[in-house]
Amino acid sequence: MSTTPQRPAWAEPYRIKVVELIRTTTREDRQRLIAEAGYNTFLLRSEDVYIDLLTDSGTSAMSDRQWAGMMLGDEAYAGSRNFYDLVDTVRDLYGYEFVVPTHQGRGAEHILSRLLIRPGDVVPGNMYFTTTKLHQELAGGAFVDVIIDEAHDPTSPHPFKGNIDLDKLAAVIAEHGAERIPYVSLETNVNMAGGQPVSMENLRAVHALCRRHGILVMLDATRAIENAFFIKEREPGYGDRALADILREIASYSDGATMSGKKDGLVNIGGFLALNRRDHYEEAMNLCVVFEGLHTYGGLAGRDMQAMAIGLREAVDEDHMRARIGQVRYLGERLMAAEVPIVQPIGGHAVYLDAKRILPHLPQDAFPAQTLAAELYVESGIRAMERGIVSAGRNAETGDHNRPALELVRLTLPRRVYTQAHMDVTVEAVARTMARRGAIRGLRMVHEPARLRFFQARFEPLSGT
Amino acid sequence: MKTIIEPFRIKMVEPIRLSTRAEREAWAREAGLNLFLLPAEQVLIDLLTDSGTSAMSAEAWGALMRGDESYAGARSWYRFEKTVQEVMGFPHVIPTHQGRAAERILFGTMLKPGDLVPNNTHFDTTRANIEHVGARAVDLPCAEAAQPDLRAPFKGDMDVAALEALLAEHGPARVPLVMVTITNNSGGGQPVSMANLRAVSEVARRYCVPLYIDACRFAENAWFIKTREPGWADVPVRRIVREMFALADGCTMSAKKDAFANIGGFLCTRDPALASRERDLLILTEGFPTYGGLAGRDLEAIAVGLEEILDEDYLRYRAVSTAYVADKLAEAGVPLVLPAGGHAVYLDARRFAPHIPPLAYPGQALAVELYLEAGIRGCEIGTVMFGRDPAHPDERPARLDLVRLAIPRRVYTQSHMDYVVEATLEVFARRDALRGLRMTHEPPVLRHFTARFEWLGA
Repeated sequence: MSTTPQRPAWAEPYRIKVVELIRTTTREDRQRLIAEAGYNTFLLRSEDVYIDLLTDSGTSAMSDRQWAGMMLGDEAYAGSRNFYDLVDTVRDLYGYEFVVPTHQGRGAEHILSRLLIRPGDVVPGNMYFTTTKLHQELAGGAFVDVIIDEAHDPTSPHPFKGNIDLDKLAAVIAEHGAERIPYVSLETNVNMAGGQPVSMENLRAVHALCRRHGILVMLDATRAIENAFFIKEREPGYGDRALADILREIASYSDGATMSGKKDGLVNIGGFLALNRRDHYEEAMNLCVVFEGLHTYGGLAGRDMQAMAIGLREAVDEDHMRARIGQVRYLGERLMAAEVPIVQPIGGHAVYLDAKRILPHLPQDAFPAQTLAAELYVESGIRAMERGIVSAGRNAETGDHNRPALELVRLTLPRRVYTQAHMDVTVEAVARTMARRGAIRGLRMVHEPARLRFFQARFEPLSGT
Repeated sequence: MKTIIEPFRIKMVEPIRLSTRAEREAWAREAGLNLFLLPAEQVLIDLLTDSGTSAMSAEAWGALMRGDESYAGARSWYRFEKTVQEVMGFPHVIPTHQGRAAERILFGTMLKPGDLVPNNTHFDTTRANIEHVGARAVDLPCAEAAQPDLRAPFKGDMDVAALEALLAEHGPARVPLVMVTITNNSGGGQPVSMANLRAVSEVARRYCVPLYIDACRFAENAWFIKTREPGWADVPVRRIVREMFALADGCTMSAKKDAFANIGGFLCTRDPALASRERDLLILTEGFPTYGGLAGRDLEAIAVGLEEILDEDYLRYRAVSTAYVADKLAEAGVPLVLPAGGHAVYLDARRFAPHIPPLAYPGQALAVELYLEAGIRGCEIGTVMFGRDPAHPDERPARLDLVRLAIPRRVYTQSHMDYVVEATLEVFARRDALRGLRMTHEPPVLRHFTARFEWLGA
């Protein structure tokens, strides 16, 4: 896979209309602040962060059109016109029949899991995602990973590392029986694998296999538009197709989707559950009203539904997506040029530092990715996120850490927020951290929450040996 | 000056659309005679709820532009947290996307199947959330609450003797918390007195059961204490609010009411261990503890709204403008819950249309007729909303059959209200022609939101 960009330069298809000031801190400040935060970047105050690459979720800059849409918010409790705009937009872009708005993606996951999963069920998926897996488990199901092996190898150049291994999926169906599998949970641009796409060929094949067994396919469509961009770029026959076309085709191989509008959708809050079957929709409406809000607002202000409807249309714009992926690629290629080990190929929303190779002297029990994220903050005020053993949590039966093959630090790029100069600073900061890696010691966990521990866990530095 | 005016002027407007009776008849039929199912564009004056429908101030919009959308540790969160701590006086604040999520997290953490939760009167989502975890919601309103036309100052009070009896019978093991809703929404938006809150708090404390306040309309309740309860006239509302919450161990709050916000809520507690368990549940279904499923800008808007709601000029205007509608209707003989509540006027549908039996939904029939007459959307609070109890197989009449005309904060003018009064009087004049309804589609939970109806004899 060539890492040369298709064009020597790309430019953002927008200019800046409103800015938000950020502040720098000293190294001494940051040493104190990260210690106060228990060496967990989640627990830092945002005003102490210089460049915030913690997540691309909800951190996008909205456009002037989205802000104008915010001013058209219809805050009626029932039947807000913004709801109908959102439904029309989702039907138009994705082709799903029914839409239940939710306050964000995990609200949709919550409803879907309760709707379809019964105790003892098995839900195959292409690599776990933290909240998705937990909702499946709380509904009584068990997640089974059926992603291709290449996904677990950060050096594999496979162009579609998000693909499902059809043999693994067939084996799960043979072992448990189709009646114990309510749906296959298919994530586009697989986050935990490094923002890696799924090919259309694979989507088609998974859908066909599931159809034969009467199993539903539910998409995690959070970054489906970024996935569509990779299909256009990499998959034969799609080079001349419009992104919007490709997105429709992706969704056509599924029976519904959970969506966090906070990623592709370019909004700060919002999500939805999309469904094609009326009976599912009727039951989802009932669950929505208990947990989220009436089904015509689902826990969102009217203005937020409007901003999401507009944001989704902006997201399928080819120039937008070229600049979006282009910026991620720019950061990744400069890091590679500085000989920083990263997950390849470069994904859609983030560059993933390979902490195992950056800190080879740290055992996984010393939390190499957590350590690297903390060190990067101390070095530069840049906030990143651990995606390794801390995020993977513990095995419910044995009580031991789940030990993922990947030990990553995610540098996640908010959409339309940071400039090329911010990216250059990031590269320099990572390179400087790399340069003193021999002196970096690991961490031990001193506070461990029972669930989704990575959010609130606290650490202390291991004493020197 | 005798006339009390709005302590604000209008900075931004939203056009509304007039319609004909023929149009509204067609729309109502399409919506299955359920006003919840009407597109908002088909409504002229929307009194469905005061929840999330307020007009925010220029200050709140300004703060909204300063929203910090960082996933973790946003400055908007710290501003929000500090404001809630100062206004309510609770140390631990858990943000949620709206009030029902705060309830779900509270009940998900504290209740187990078979438990009982007493309240002066539970509201619909509160009841649904309690029943969802297999516990039972028990209403213990004071005796005056059963007489809609009795003008008593604190008809939202809880029946303290009944609470005592319940706790004596079942004990703290079966009753993990006591709740008081201020003001009492299902009971006509009636306030709870400080004396009653204190008595409830004492009983709860004696049985070592925590007291939680459903705080949605806490400022309106404080205003009624100031204006109706002896000894409080000279105390600033801000201090009354602190004294109310000082009697409780925590609260749930929908910021969509007394914080002028279009979205948002929170949960407060004094118990650090409980707060920690609540945050675990929060992360799962709402969001990270420093945003809880809200945009940073919404946290900012709530912080501004919580300060604005304590303005006494605003609260005076609010109480007086609601009473304006109630008084005009009462003068004309329209049966309603008296005295006027803080946020809404409640028509007493059972006396309005005594020829319609409760199981033919007089409240729903009246609400639909008001819509057909004038494009006004009210909300049935009666047998449609509360006619199902999991402990009983059959549908049963609710305690009262009311139509709530909820008044969004700072949205409608006096001439809008004059129009509402006129329309109600028109319907009242030909009330004998009102027809009852039957339900043709009944959802299993919170049926009033999506049920469908037909006229009897249609």
